[in-house]
Parts: sequence; structure tokens; C-alpha cells
Amino acid sequence: MARMKFLCDAERCIECNSCVTACKNEHEVPWGVNRRRVVTLDDGVPGEKSISVACMHCSDAPCQAVCPVDCFYTTEDGVVLHDKDICIGCGYCFYACPFGAPQYPQEGAFGARGKMDKCTFCAGGPEEDNSAEELEKYGRNRLAEGKLPLCAEMCSTKALLAGDGDVVSQLFRDRVVRREGRPDTWGWNTAYKD
Amino acid sequence: MMKSLFLIVSLFGLTSCYEDTSVTLHQAGVYKGKIDSHSQTAEQREAILAKRFNLVQTDR
Repeated sequence: MARMKFLCDAERCIECNSCVTACKNEHEVPWGVNRRRVVTLDDGVPGEKSISVACMHCSDAPCQAVCPVDCFYTTEDGVVLHDKDICIGCGYCFYACPFGAPQYPQEGAFGARGKMDKCTFCAGGPEEDNSAEELEKYGRNRLAEGKLPLCAEMCSTKALLAGDGDVVSQLFRDRVVRREGRPDTWGWNTAYKD
Repeated sequence: MMKSLFLIVSLFGLTSCYEDTSVTLHQAGVYKGKIDSHSQTAEQREAILAKRFNLVQTDR
């Protein structure tokens, strides 16, 4: 069975932010919420690298583990989704997520938090596929239409890859072999430098 | 008449004092939301998405 994964190739990402824009437009994400964003490492320094980050749909998702109302589930495709009807907007998943994926729209006065919102891998939610409720709460369900996430599909340099983890990793492995090495932007040598 | 009416009202009022002692126990870590149903099986989706990946994601 497929396990859907994102992979961003830092050697190819040009920080154009098209993935961010495409995601916001496709799912009509509310103002103040970004399901995806581009992070630049060593910004302004020659050799800077950028990566596009969203929910990584972890196999053992920490958000799922800490949720007090158990509103998270993992689909058969390995996509981590949640039910907004039972989400209480407590923020635990935000603290647990190492990628900062969960976002909260401001609801009402005094900065009250609304239901949590995050990347759905363009797989909608627990509502009926491609229904009005699903579109309103979770955004478009492209996987049900036989399509992959828009952020990856429209990436002009093919830096952002989305699909079955085995297929994505094979494609990236082939690239690394062609380049004769992997970038040292992150990894053990970078994490413990200085 | 008034006595019986008072009795009926009192009995009706006492019904609101009933307390349900059955407790709903939720098992922690088990998804509590709606079931996400799909029109296709996971294998069918996998085949369709693999085809799509080759169409739009492979290197140029």
C-alpha cells in the first residue's frame, strides 16, 4: 500500500513561493493561515538553500499522539487528516509538531482560536468526497480526482515532490547519483557544526 | 381537584431528578471523528496516483 510523502529538493528550490500561493488559492485558505511556506537556510549568504515545508504526514504523527479529543486519523494512503467537527482548537498539536504545520484561524474578538487547519495532502477530510462541506472545511480533494497535491504538481523546477514514498525516494536517489553527492545544507555535519 | 393536580405536577417534577448512571468511556488514542469513506479502494488509488506521478512529477 502506498504511503504518501512530500520531499523538497533543496538543490532545485528557487524560493519562488508558488507552492504557497497555489495551496492558498486551491483550498481558499483563510487570511492568516499558511498550510505551506518556504524556509530559507543561510539567507543572503552565498550558497543559501530553500525548502518548502508543510505537514509531512508523519508515519507516527506527534499531533495525533497528543490530541486530547483524538480528532486525527491516518488514511490508507498514509495521509494524516483530522475531523474539524470535534477539534477544540487547544493548540497541543501545534506544540507537538516539529514542522509548525498546524495553524489556527483567528475566530472572533480577543484573538480566540478557531479549529486547527493544516495541509491535507489535497485529500480533503472525513466529509463526503468533493462535497460542499468538505470544500468549505478542508479544501479541495484532489486525491479523489486522481491528482496529486497542487503545490508539487505545479512546482516549476520539480523541487517539491509528492507521491508514494518509494517512488519519490527513488527519483531523488537517481538525482543524487547524477549529482554525485547530497547537499550539506542539513544533516549530521550541519546540525552539530560550531 | 387541586390536590390531585399538585400530585401530578410534583411527580412530573421529580422525573427531572433522575440521574443517568451509565458512563461513556472513551479509549484514549482511538479516532473519535467521522469515518472517511472513499469510492475507490486503496489499491485503485495507488495505481491511479502512480500513473499521475509519472505524468507530472518526473524529471524533465
